[in-house]
Amino acid sequence: MTIEHIATALAPELILLVGACFVLMLGVTGSPPRGRWVSSASFATIVLALIAAVRVGSPEAGELLPGLWITSLTIYTRWVALSVGALIVLVNWHQPVVSERGEYMAMILLSLLGVLLTASANDLVVLFLAIELVSVPTYVLIALSRDDTRSSEAAVKYFFLGALSAAILAYGMSFLYGAAGTTTIHTFTNGIVSSNFSFGGAGQAQAMIGTMLVFGGLAFKIAAVPFHVYAADVYEGAASPVTGMLGFVPKLAGFVALCKLMSAFGWNIPPELSWMIWIVAAVTMTVGNVLALLQKNVKRMLAYSSIAHTGYMLVALLVGPVAGEGPMRDGVAAMLFYMAVYGVMNLGVFALLTAFRTGGRDVETLDDLSGIARRAPAGALALAICVFSLMGFPPTAGFIGKLYIFSGAFSTSAAHPMHDAMIALAIIGVINSAIAAAYYLRIVAAVYMRTEKDEAIPTGGMPVRWGLALCTIPLLVVFAWPAALTRSATDAVAVVQQSIFRNSEAVATTDPPSSVHTPTLRAPTTDHDDALEP
Amino acid sequence: MTSWILTITILSPVAGALLLMLPPYGDRASIRRSAVLYSLVTLGLTILALTRFYSIEEASDGAFVLMHELPWIVGESVEVVDMDGYLVEKPSIDISYRVGVDGISIWLVALTSFLMPLAILSSFTAIRERTREYYCLLLLLQAGLLGVFCAMDLLLFYVFFEFTLIPLFFLIGIWGGSQRRRAANKFFIYTLAGSVLLFAGIVYLSYYSYRTLGYVTLEIAELTRLGQGGYLPLDVQWWLFLAFAAGFAIKVPLFPVHTWLPLAHTEAPTAGSVILAGVLLKLGTYGFCRLSIPMFPDATFQLAPAVAVFAVIGIIYAALAAWVQSDVKKLVAYSSISHLGFCMLGLFSLKVAGVTGGVLYMINHGLSTAALFLIVGYIYERYHTRDIHEIGGLAKRMPWMAFFLIFFTLSSIGLPGLNGFVSEFLVLLATATSGQNSDGVGRGPLGYGYVIPAALGIILGATYMLWMCQRLLFGPLTEPANTPDTSAGLTADLTRREIGILVPIGLACIFLGVYPKPLLDTFESAARRNVLQSPFTYDFSDVRAPVIDIDDDHLATAVSANDLDVNGFYDSSGHGVGSIDAAQGIVRDAEIVSHASMTPALVGGGGRSRDD
Repeated sequence: MTIEHIATALAPELILLVGACFVLMLGVTGSPPRGRWVSSASFATIVLALIAAVRVGSPEAGELLPGLWITSLTIYTRWVALSVGALIVLVNWHQPVVSERGEYMAMILLSLLGVLLTASANDLVVLFLAIELVSVPTYVLIALSRDDTRSSEAAVKYFFLGALSAAILAYGMSFLYGAAGTTTIHTFTNGIVSSNFSFGGAGQAQAMIGTMLVFGGLAFKIAAVPFHVYAADVYEGAASPVTGMLGFVPKLAGFVALCKLMSAFGWNIPPELSWMIWIVAAVTMTVGNVLALLQKNVKRMLAYSSIAHTGYMLVALLVGPVAGEGPMRDGVAAMLFYMAVYGVMNLGVFALLTAFRTGGRDVETLDDLSGIARRAPAGALALAICVFSLMGFPPTAGFIGKLYIFSGAFSTSAAHPMHDAMIALAIIGVINSAIAAAYYLRIVAAVYMRTEKDEAIPTGGMPVRWGLALCTIPLLVVFAWPAALTRSATDAVAVVQQSIFRNSEAVATTDPPSSVHTPTLRAPTTDHDDALEP
Repeated sequence: MTSWILTITILSPVAGALLLMLPPYGDRASIRRSAVLYSLVTLGLTILALTRFYSIEEASDGAFVLMHELPWIVGESVEVVDMDGYLVEKPSIDISYRVGVDGISIWLVALTSFLMPLAILSSFTAIRERTREYYCLLLLLQAGLLGVFCAMDLLLFYVFFEFTLIPLFFLIGIWGGSQRRRAANKFFIYTLAGSVLLFAGIVYLSYYSYRTLGYVTLEIAELTRLGQGGYLPLDVQWWLFLAFAAGFAIKVPLFPVHTWLPLAHTEAPTAGSVILAGVLLKLGTYGFCRLSIPMFPDATFQLAPAVAVFAVIGIIYAALAAWVQSDVKKLVAYSSISHLGFCMLGLFSLKVAGVTGGVLYMINHGLSTAALFLIVGYIYERYHTRDIHEIGGLAKRMPWMAFFLIFFTLSSIGLPGLNGFVSEFLVLLATATSGQNSDGVGRGPLGYGYVIPAALGIILGATYMLWMCQRLLFGPLTEPANTPDTSAGLTADLTRREIGILVPIGLACIFLGVYPKPLLDTFESAARRNVLQSPFTYDFSDVRAPVIDIDDDHLATAVSANDLDVNGFYDSSGHGVGSIDAAQGIVRDAEIVSHASMTPALVGGGGRSRDD
């Protein structure tokens, strides 16, 4: 494999890396420092990386480098991370003071680089490093984002808990290595499932502990219960545009890593672990939504809403992939779809919060939002669209996302041991989306129905407004034309299916799994059979 | 037979709303003029659709016509054997933008388009701030309502069904009374709580269609065939019926989930109340009529007595509640609950007369209650109160208003010669004769036991409505100080604009009371064909032709070539799906062997074996 080949295949990552270094230097060199150009340079970097990602296009046949494998999941993640990343830069355009902007933007780019590497990682060590590359810059970002003690407090809090979760993650990975005898993820399937890691062999205890610890470490990144406690404080402490990023970037990385992990086991996790995810999903969405009801601060409210959305996506993760079926039945495709939509709609709300200031401080509470509709009707409309999308309401992409997730949960085959439990989970999910409406409505009501206080002043420049508009329009477009996103999301699942195919062959040669969910074996005709049995 | 007319009709109010939002912003008068204009355009399009509807021959048989389909959420093509036993190419996911109308929905579309210009006209003086947004939201609401009645895809139905909440939430919350925000929130969350369960039901049904048919479909006609053909087991029907009922019963609203309605009505602006009572509540009854009853026939039959009991309790309870209200608007709101109980009773009698009467009841209630809310709005605009203790004897001050109030009260309580009577009579007749098999759709589940309390409800209804008229119109003139308020260009009695709004509704009431036949005919054929359990006769010939057409010899070759047991294929004791699989297998093999095809009837034997 030539160096050119590698450079071409990794072009988006390399562009991000070079761009980050360039932006970092641009911010501090020259006299006076050319901080004003930093935002444009960062935006250009991401756009270049996006173009490179489009040009690279197809996945690689094998490992590109030891520990890196460009799969269809990578392709999809690149697309989503870089598109939303460009919006993040737009929303952060005027953050923070010019003198610190170089470091700040470089951190955003590095964090995005971490997401891209997470998606291509094929080795536990690389995966761990990539996830840390996502997290570490966010600590810096939070600290830099505002000039007050709250952001420092949030950064320290996030850092300590993040470090703890990294330790848990690394510890778990060491157990997995012990069980599998390899750190290469795609050979886990061969090494573990067919020999001693069928969750029944000699390595069972190790594998169980390892999986649970890794899940715990990643639960922190995706803000799942019981590792969610930091979210509200950190979201509140950080400046709004950073918060918009925090809701998406670590979550995307965490879910992609979970996908990789689950696919490493061929999605054949034992019932105990399935139940663990089931409980975490149910509790996460319920806790998130119920606690959000109690909030008056919009950022805290959205922190809890972000927890709730993690719960919905965990439902889809638990459903698992179904070969070539598309997101109506394929949980992973639904999750990837929802992730992209969530990133955009969540960022949209924070873009609006960024675009206004009241009484010399950021807009944060429901009171601060009151009456924005009269002052900035277009902004209020955009906010309403984003909020209705978060609520899962037509005509927005959030509705399609909910449809996919819950349809996946309803579609588990009747033979699946968790069939009834999944239906129960879907019902818990839809009831949760009704609870969620109560607090989302308060945002809309504050904007449209309260009397104007004449305090919130539009401050954001054109980039922030563009960011808001570009967050809103796709939500309507994707509603009318979901295929725009579903096709690539469905393709992205091909990689996790590769493991399944290998796995089901491996299992078939030994012992037919009786209590194991093997979605690919679920052909339409088999369902026919149990459907029409009298 | 693709027709764009419905799509254009649905989208025309959206276009109107967008035009209103665009600069240049005119003054208040020009905004409301254009709003009326846009709603009249929609009315014109609706009339066009109506004439097209009546010019199509199948329409009089109750078929869905003016169909229009655009792909939305579609998967790749798969080959499946459909319920007729034809081998067809279908998208693996078949959720599309599908619209069409039958005899029932076309008239509900007409009702919506008829009431909207009147609702807009009625807001001329009442709405004095944020007028542009107000008319935009009314037009968007209209688009949502039209969409619900035209939707031929379950997901599309749900999208429109949910979407209607958004404009009404703002209409109540921004332009409502003193407790508007509480009312808007309660309205939204209450109805959403029900409709998320409806959503769960729809999603489960999509999965079930996949299990049964081999592809995901939410086409209402397909799902109806699924239900009517007995493909849905009884327990699944039960759960789905309950999930759908959760969404629709709150909307109707059926006792005991009616508690959101009085608050929403009292706080909503007049036009909001008119649309809420006139059309929005019908989404619930329409949902029962279009979806629950035909799709889950067995569960419907078993649960109909329970629904009817709630309906009857609602009739009496709401009538008694209406009697003690001192707020006139609340009184009319409670009368709505009571009246819709009759509508539900008619639908769940599961008789042709009952469904026909129930649908006519929707239209009639839409007309007379909308008019009553308009009149209450007129009074409120002049006196800033609706309290029956503070105003009285208005017949002297407002003779025109008195005339219309009495007219629509009589229409509402079912005076023969006016519209309410016809539907009330049909509903009670069908409920009483529900147990008899007189109209060829089998025996219904209800009987005389439901008619007697319901008839009591009619008496109560007449009592409280007439009592309200008496208190408001006759006796000594009572007015709060400094009223009537004529600052907005009103006169003491109704203005010509206000009379002009009521006259068309009144004429419609008289017309429907004297000659309801044109509507009843279309309702009846649509009820027979699309609502009640009956041999399904939807015409698929233009959509899919038999793929395969060979004679028996070829089939025999194919079968023997593959050692398939022909008897097993025909065996009705075998599981239906197994037979479908076998049939599919034979068909595929037949294609391989002879590159030809076989008679659809043969394959159909396999597909239908469960019905045998």
